[in-house]
Amino acid sequence: MGAIITLSVLGILVLYLGLYKAKNALLPVTLLGLLVAFGFTVADWNKDATPLFNGMVYFDKFALAFSMLCIFITALILLLSKEYFRNISEHVAEYYCLLVFSLTGALIVTAYHNFAMLFIGIEIMSVALYILVGIRKYDKASNEAALKYFLMGAFSTGFLLFGIALLYGASGTFDLEGLRNYVLTAGEISPLFYAGVLLMLCGLCFKIGAAPFHFWTPDVYDGAPILITAFMSTVVKVASFVGFLRLFSMVFVPVSDLWTPVLLTVVIITLFIGNITALMQSSFKRMMAYSSISHAGYMLFALVSISVTSAASMFTYAFAYSLASVIAFAILILVKRETGSDQFESFNGLGKRKPGLALAMTVAMLSLAGIPLTAGFIGKFMMFNQVMGGYNIVLLLLAVVNAAIGVYYYLHVVVNMYFKDADGEMQIQIPTSYKVVLTLAVALTILIGVYPDCVIGLL
Amino acid sequence: MTVFYLVAFLAIFFALMTIFTKNPVHSVLYLVITFFTLTIHYILLNAQFLAVVNFIVYMGAIMVLFLFVLMLLNLNKESEPMKSNFVKIMGAIAGMCLIATLLGAFRVIEPNNQMVVGNEEVGLVKNLGKVLFKEFLLPFEISSILLLTAMVGAVLLAKKDVKKV
Repeated sequence: MGAIITLSVLGILVLYLGLYKAKNALLPVTLLGLLVAFGFTVADWNKDATPLFNGMVYFDKFALAFSMLCIFITALILLLSKEYFRNISEHVAEYYCLLVFSLTGALIVTAYHNFAMLFIGIEIMSVALYILVGIRKYDKASNEAALKYFLMGAFSTGFLLFGIALLYGASGTFDLEGLRNYVLTAGEISPLFYAGVLLMLCGLCFKIGAAPFHFWTPDVYDGAPILITAFMSTVVKVASFVGFLRLFSMVFVPVSDLWTPVLLTVVIITLFIGNITALMQSSFKRMMAYSSISHAGYMLFALVSISVTSAASMFTYAFAYSLASVIAFAILILVKRETGSDQFESFNGLGKRKPGLALAMTVAMLSLAGIPLTAGFIGKFMMFNQVMGGYNIVLLLLAVVNAAIGVYYYLHVVVNMYFKDADGEMQIQIPTSYKVVLTLAVALTILIGVYPDCVIGLL
Repeated sequence: MTVFYLVAFLAIFFALMTIFTKNPVHSVLYLVITFFTLTIHYILLNAQFLAVVNFIVYMGAIMVLFLFVLMLLNLNKESEPMKSNFVKIMGAIAGMCLIATLLGAFRVIEPNNQMVVGNEEVGLVKNLGKVLFKEFLLPFEISSILLLTAMVGAVLLAKKDVKKV
């Protein structure tokens, strides 16, 4: 709870800093605030968790671990933001404030224990993002992305609310504990409850961008400023998954006969659509958007066969995926600043000019593709293991085929970097903060790949 | 009960009219009437607070907003986007699936269900306030962040950038 309060106050503080034109203090203060929030989360780690505030929030290890992940990734993204927002517009403080509020929403979603909190958390997270996506006011693509995201978000929230209403109609409670008691003790589960489960599934699939509810993802990720895309595809996506997993593993497991086939179909469609469309992209940013759809498919494995290790698998995968995404988007920002385009061709010859950047990019791509000795491999391994535990051999085979397709398009950019020559001469300046973020992220990616217990042991 | 059926019929009738009228302004006006019938439903359920809020916020504020937007957009037949038959068929199938699911779910509802009858007084302002400030205190407080976010965003998007000299 300390973390949520800290972040709420931090957002308002940042607004005041903007009011008094203290622009240079913005980034340090925000990072300090995140550090304090991180500290509160760590301090809660060994305490016995009980639902607080009449069962509204529940800070168990599951929630705390994902909260820490979200705060950490946000800090990395903020470090990248140093010069970024200033080029877009004058109102830098407001962007920091919105990012911090969005993170607050994400923390609420990781720790909710009542549907009221789930709804408010998702709304805070999304409303801040609707605006951040559209902050390039004079850019048509950004406007389109913001409007599309807003309409789709509102639509999916409708599904979510309708689902919540039906679940309430069946069980008479918004509380997860109460819902679980209802599922376990009710002699005959009302059809209202089943309809509610399906609607919740649709609403949450919209939020995580799983096919066939993925139509907004590519356009929004492509149109948004790169830094916001990085935030959306890591922190927000992970938080939505946590909300998804918490609800389904805590409440809906006894009625899994109903939703497992539905979710299985969603997973298979998501994997194929994400990977096959990613193959055909010529823009790196758009490729990352489709790849994030396919990663949503892999992350859903933890839900298809829920077991005690689901949380750990999800955590490892989310960690690996977020780190790799941050690296990839950071390098894309640098490359785009020089070449002005986000096509694969703009990476040509990067291996000769900036070996360090090219190496970091290679590690990120290998991690996303799931090659051993990177964190992505451990994540994929745990997810596949999860499915093996459920004896879902068909799904496993399809997933392996998809992983193979993934290797092809992830290595596309690596080939461009090392085996193609650049057209002209250009110098990429790497700011210190980028060096710090890239080094840290690459080191963590390899550390998790070599010694995975440090992450798996957490949960 | 007869009042309920009358109002329910009117609600569905005007909701359908909202969809089927060609003129967008008429459509909005029908939507206003639909909301009005819903307000009557709330009163029948003894939910005074919801009724008042629905009346003021939805029928008042939001519908005026709708009308303004419609006038600004200046919609007419030429600007109506053409939808392919495929999309229409898909929409119809998806809608039918949703109806089938919901009808299947709703068939169990009976008026004497414990959840439906429940506490008749719960919709009164006093009881609602008690629930809001006791059980749901945390979501109530946190929703202030949601409103603040929306406000910051609205100002940010609407404000004119000062041109650099």
